[in-house]
Amino acid sequence: MNGDVLIKVIDLKKHYLGGKVKALDGINVEIQTGEVVVIIGPSGSVKSTLLRSLNLLEIPTGGSIIFEGVDICDPKQNINLHRQKMGMVFQHFNLFANMNIIDNMTIAPRKRLKKSKDEATEKAMELLKRVGLADRANDYPSQLSGGQKQRIAIVRALCMEPDVMLFDEPTSALDPEMVGEVLDVMKSLAKSGTTMIVVTHEMGFAKEVGNRVIFMDGGKIIEEGTPQEIFENPQSDRLKSFLAKVL
Amino acid sequence: MNDFFASVVDKFTRCFIAKSYWKMILQGFRDSLIITFFSIILGLLIGVILATIRTSYDKNEESLKIKGGIGYWSLKILNSLCKAYIAVIRGVPVVVQLLIWYFIILATQKNSIIVAVAAFGVNSGAYVAEIFRGGIMSVDVGQFEAGRSLGFNYVQTMIHIIIPQAFKTVLPTLLNEFIAVLKETSIAGYVGITDLTRAGAIIRAQTFEAFMPLIAVAIIYLVTVIVLTALFTRIERRLRNSER
Ligand SMILES: Nc1ncnc2c1ncn2[C@@H]1O[C@H](COP(=O)(O)OP(=O)(O)OP(=O)(O)O)[C@@H](O)[C@H]1O
Ligand SMILES: [Mg+2]
Repeated sequence: MNGDVLIKVIDLKKHYLGGKVKALDGINVEIQTGEVVVIIGPSGSVKSTLLRSLNLLEIPTGGSIIFEGVDICDPKQNINLHRQKMGMVFQHFNLFANMNIIDNMTIAPRKRLKKSKDEATEKAMELLKRVGLADRANDYPSQLSGGQKQRIAIVRALCMEPDVMLFDEPTSALDPEMVGEVLDVMKSLAKSGTTMIVVTHEMGFAKEVGNRVIFMDGGKIIEEGTPQEIFENPQSDRLKSFLAKVL
Repeated sequence: MNDFFASVVDKFTRCFIAKSYWKMILQGFRDSLIITFFSIILGLLIGVILATIRTSYDKNEESLKIKGGIGYWSLKILNSLCKAYIAVIRGVPVVVQLLIWYFIILATQKNSIIVAVAAFGVNSGAYVAEIFRGGIMSVDVGQFEAGRSLGFNYVQTMIHIIIPQAFKTVLPTLLNEFIAVLKETSIAGYVGITDLTRAGAIIRAQTFEAFMPLIAVAIIYLVTVIVLTALFTRIERRLRNSER
């Protein structure tokens, strides 16, 4: 962490039905370079919507998101260029079913970053080795287990050399015995200094790896602080009752 | 028995060999195939573009509305145009469409084959559009989001990720449409083209022999469809294998 603000979210709003449903209602948060921020909260507390707003997979209805100094909510901004720098990992992996693993990993660097095939493949193979899946390069996603798919999804995003990685419940769709292998990859990523924003129900991960924990409920940030502050000294009743349920 | 055999040979000779009628059948078949081939290509082109417009409107309506501006309105207008086009094509018989192309829209076009390709292609495009739209909608939305999250724009995501997957799911339905186009071309005689059907009809009129030419024409269509089906089954199997 070097204290540079990478993402600054200002009064972010996501309303539905012309304002009748206020899913996100005035979120303010700052993410610093190198920080691992974990977002926790009960189901339906609008965590995913917040995370997906950061790379505009959800279009906010108000407020702004300053990413590397520019307001990416400005319609004049080319969002594709900003998304290239924000890797995203989904609950359901979303590997491209029509491509094998190596193509999954190299297509975006080739088409978006204009890397040569050799260059992109080299980088992809290096990352595959790092997660122990180099021998699966020519397999199709349907041939892999959930844990393998998610490790691939992580390195696929890393192939773009993003400045921040967004994770939306990356282990929630996995069989319990596969959760560990994915968390291990994420831990080593955190250790290497990658900026990460992680929505998860894995409280162990939040405690161990998180620099900061954000607790959301009802579309608002209720509390935020270090893992210690959040887990050992919760202030609000809502956080207390949430922790009582999940710990 | 010998008599019967002799009469069959005689009929066959009169219908196909004498006056080289077989050449007419062959040329008719060739023209039917040419019209079918280019109509299918034109139909696919129109269909994929239309389906992309329709689905992109359905998928992005909400977010585009928030952004507003020209993008939203031009897509809204394009979408309405596509819908109108599909409605018109569905509502007007193909023969009537063909005649409209021949006598009105392309009245100055001398080459009837081009007129036929335009008519059958534009007609097929509407059906292919609906087939493809279903295919695109059936691709998991996560595939689309993963593409966008890596920085692909809408069109790139469609071309590299969504359409290949949609194509595979619609292949069987698409084959039905291609077969329908082949059989539809049998009305090309209406605009003066001697296609396969027309060739058979001419032979029947000139030889007063119905059985031979009509059954021959029927068999040629049938065999073509069987070959086409076999070809598609192989492509399908190949595509499916590529995922296992
Ligand atoms: N189209 C919509 N119309 C109205 N409200 C919507 C719409 N889409 C989402 N919402 C609201 O957003 C909420 C869901 O938010 P989100 O999926 O971000 O929650 P979450 O915290 O990620 O939940 P989970 O833990 O189950 O993943 C819903 O409770 C709903 O109120
Ligand atoms: Mg969620």
